[in-house]
Amino acid sequence: MTEKHHHIASAFDRDLEEVQAEIMKMGGLVENAILAAADSLEARDEEMAEKVRENDRAIDELEELINDEAARIIALRAPTAIDLRLVLSVLKISANLERIGDYAKNMAKRTGILVQMAPIEGATVSLKRMARDVQLMLKDALDAYIQRDAALAMDVIHRDRDVDQLYNALFREFLTFMMEDPRNITPCMHLHFIAKNTERMGDHVTAVAEQVVYLVTGEVPDEDRKKRDVTSTDASLSED
Amino acid sequence: MFDTPKREAAVTKTDIKMSARNCQVFYGDNQAIKDVDVDIDDKTVTAFIGPSGCGKSTFLRCLNRMNDTIPICRVEGTITLDGEDIYDPKVDPVQLRAKVGMVFQKPNPFPKSIYDNIAYGPRIHGLARSRAELDDIVEKSLRRGALWDEVKDRLHEPGTGLSGGQQQRLCIARAVATEPEVLLMDEPCSALDPIATAQVEELIDELKQNFSVVIVTHSMQQAARVSQKTAFFHLGNLVEYGETGQIFTNPRDPRTESYITGRIG
Repeated sequence: MTEKHHHIASAFDRDLEEVQAEIMKMGGLVENAILAAADSLEARDEEMAEKVRENDRAIDELEELINDEAARIIALRAPTAIDLRLVLSVLKISANLERIGDYAKNMAKRTGILVQMAPIEGATVSLKRMARDVQLMLKDALDAYIQRDAALAMDVIHRDRDVDQLYNALFREFLTFMMEDPRNITPCMHLHFIAKNTERMGDHVTAVAEQVVYLVTGEVPDEDRKKRDVTSTDASLSED
Repeated sequence: MFDTPKREAAVTKTDIKMSARNCQVFYGDNQAIKDVDVDIDDKTVTAFIGPSGCGKSTFLRCLNRMNDTIPICRVEGTITLDGEDIYDPKVDPVQLRAKVGMVFQKPNPFPKSIYDNIAYGPRIHGLARSRAELDDIVEKSLRRGALWDEVKDRLHEPGTGLSGGQQQRLCIARAVATEPEVLLMDEPCSALDPIATAQVEELIDELKQNFSVVIVTHSMQQAARVSQKTAFFHLGNLVEYGETGQIFTNPRDPRTESYITGRIG
């Protein structure tokens, strides 16, 4: 592959390596944030949740740094072909990582509220499983990125369907809890937002994986996933 | 009458202006161009890029038989203009070069007045029947060369007294004065400063309304800015030819990618 050859201007190579190292660092922080947010929710650990919220600042700062660096590369090096795709992918990936970080922070915020209420049986275990799936997808997407592995990135894209299914199952579960006892409504609303946000994290990881495919092949994969489950959009389910 | 069907055929396939098939060029025993097939679109700017010695200028010079002037140079294969073989013995190279004009790397105005620089071609090809007509051609060509406003008050001063950028635009105006159909440009901006380069690039963009322009350039950014099609030459081969946007975002051949991204390989 072309990228294995070095640029005649070696400083260009260093710039590109640097910005990619920042992406990997940001990705690592985001992975930790997802896991720590889910752990703190399950363990009802306010202190850990607070840490997740604090750490989000570092993620935001990295995004800014990456944006500045990418703008500088575009201005000074006028990248083309694989280099251009690399810089474009860096911008998009950092934006997606930042959003995932925000969702993790939101989960931690809701943990602070949920610990004040009676726990909903089984919910946090399922949410943790979902968060774990998303974190593993992100890990693979970042591995695919650094290894330029489009096949692995495609695998990540396909795995988002499992996360969607977990969300749909949780949606039904929360609905049942709320119908059983109105006192469950407040915690279940928070839990539902967490589930929805985790599902959105999966979408952002998918977007990262799509950028990997674009970087390697020059083409964005077709968006051809049909919604298999209509739970969240089917009004009849709420009637009873 | 005999010609009519042929001309009609040429009109129906408007898009391709010039075409090369199995083009090979030798300098003595050295092969400079190997089996090049290319179609140059009409009213389009086509850029030839590639490292020094890759054959892009040699190939460009084949398109108006400039290589005829080099005794050891031999051209094989076919090159057509509107479907007609330009290497056919019946073709007069001087007439051909009126149709396929050329602008060189260094501005090379004739040691004559600005007016006579432009009027030279139309005069020898008998394009003007009166002084007034010739004046019109000179004005129109200088306007097309985006130079009219700068020189209209000193048409009878020597062309060599202009600045480098103006001289180059004068040469472009001179090339368009004979109403060519194709304009070949061999690194037309390499001796110009960025402002003059931008003016020439703007001019190339306007010229493509009327002509097919083929430009050889060492500046990849220039190729990206002015051309719609890009051809990458390497060691005498045409490695890749495609839409400029595609070549610069997603080239198919690793050699193209290495070259345009500035890599060793």
